[in-house]
Amino acid sequence: MKRKAWKNWIITIVILGLTFGISLVLEYRFDIKELIATLFVFAVFLISLLTEGYIYGVCGAIFSTVAVNYAFTFPFFKLNFTIPVNFMSAAIMITVAILTSMLTTKIKVHEVWKIEGEKERMRANLLRAVSHDLRTPLTTIYGFSETLYEKGDSLSEEQKRKMLKGIKEDAQWLIRMVENLLSITKIDADQVRLNKMPIVLDELIDSVVVKFKKRYPEQKIDIDIPGEMIMIPMDAILIEQVIGNILENAVQHATGMTRLSLKVFLLSDQAIFEIEDDGCGIASERIEHIFDGSYSMEAETADANKRNAGIGLSVCASIVKAHGGDIRVENKKSGGAVFRFSLTTENCENE
Amino acid sequence: MNNNKYKVLLVEDDENITMLLSTMLETAGYQVVVAGTCNTAEMMFLSYVPDIIILDLGLPDKDGISFLKKVRENYLTPIIILSARSEEKTKVQALDLGANDYITKPFGSEELLARVRAILRSYRFSADEGRFPGGEFVLKNMHINYDKRKVFIDDTEIKLTQIEYNILALLSEQCGKLLTYATIIKAIWGCSDEGSIKKLQVNMANIRKKLGSTPGQNDYIVNEIGVGYRMKEENE
Repeated sequence: MKRKAWKNWIITIVILGLTFGISLVLEYRFDIKELIATLFVFAVFLISLLTEGYIYGVCGAIFSTVAVNYAFTFPFFKLNFTIPVNFMSAAIMITVAILTSMLTTKIKVHEVWKIEGEKERMRANLLRAVSHDLRTPLTTIYGFSETLYEKGDSLSEEQKRKMLKGIKEDAQWLIRMVENLLSITKIDADQVRLNKMPIVLDELIDSVVVKFKKRYPEQKIDIDIPGEMIMIPMDAILIEQVIGNILENAVQHATGMTRLSLKVFLLSDQAIFEIEDDGCGIASERIEHIFDGSYSMEAETADANKRNAGIGLSVCASIVKAHGGDIRVENKKSGGAVFRFSLTTENCENE
Repeated sequence: MNNNKYKVLLVEDDENITMLLSTMLETAGYQVVVAGTCNTAEMMFLSYVPDIIILDLGLPDKDGISFLKKVRENYLTPIIILSARSEEKTKVQALDLGANDYITKPFGSEELLARVRAILRSYRFSADEGRFPGGEFVLKNMHINYDKRKVFIDDTEIKLTQIEYNILALLSEQCGKLLTYATIIKAIWGCSDEGSIKKLQVNMANIRKKLGSTPGQNDYIVNEIGVGYRMKEENE
């Protein structure tokens, strides 16, 4: 907050100083007096536009009136407000300042509302999708466990094991869903809550792959990352989740996949993460909205297997955006999909 | 030792989690005593003298951290923290206060039992004087010879710098235990400054490379991102 005030004061002082300088030049070099008052009105307008709140514009206006009165109008280098012209110009400048500040403040508030509204819409969208998505696994868990508890004796050993497996899998799925939800609340509350610290790329990828292998022991991933030491400031839990979500998405949705690869390369100060599969690709009507969470609404009729994609990917997008990065997806000509996202690296040269 | 079961003090207030954990532990052959509050935990600790404590930080009467501090005033009993995902800071704080490891909810029985085993074993080692250091440390195909300060993989010597060796030896001496960045830095460099964590990470990157580890294929050292490092156990 304090820094902002400083910035505003500096803007005010610079603009006023410049105007004062230009006016002096105009007056004493070129002998043009008529422009000076207009120039100061313009300065006040600029200050009101570029700063936040009323105070800077009004201060600028007061300073300008005094300056014009003192230095540029008759009697020169004396303050005199008894002449009606001087008094009028003072009143006009202060009015301009106040009106401009009011207008710009209004616009700024409006913009904040708009962003809030956008966020709110996204949150509502996600909540709808999530509550729908939670119902399916909960039904399984509730149904199976109730059956086992009430009628366990009449079931065969194999039936029991199948039900227990179903319960376990759906519970695991719920765990991941809850993790995604936690991340949403973390980001939506305010972007500031990112718990950023410099992370070594190797360690990040290691941690992601170890977790992924626990979940899908039979799925191989080709890994290709630069040999040198790369540091990226990030909230590691969230970025791990992004990569995990995309990888998992590939396993669940890329039908016919034989190869899954995770590649990271540097493009100036950006680290580009690329997750590529050679499965069935993504349907063209879905690819456009795949990150905004709205697609899971349409997918309501789709089979239960496809339930994770919408929420997972929109969470990914919010996380990457909150880190100041960009995320994209495209279908390859040779078949399959590529997800790419970027993060800014930290300068590693200072030893 | 065989007829004598390890005693686990479980400090947890949620009934279902308590039941879950005691079932997991009892079927694995541990004896479990349960405390639902910090106050009972303190009493139970003194009367039962457990071999290991599993501690949930969110308790009804007091913060679990205060119990941890109290135990650490006089005892070295190993402590595993149960934590939720979002509590990164408390996790590190608990580890720096002397907790031996943490496990994040939700967890599977395999994961929990592996941690408990690992910690009990390393605790026995460190209590068993003369075994470490001076002898040999063996993990899979890695040998560390503490006398000669040398590390071998499959009988090939791995050339490490002084600092790299010191880090590796430190982790191996407390194998199974998660050491935070701060703990390692303090042990290796004595003091810490702004660049210490980075220095440690650079050294770790070199150690990993020299030991032939690649992302996802780590035989010796587990990295808990943002927290610290842990040397694996033999059967992990």
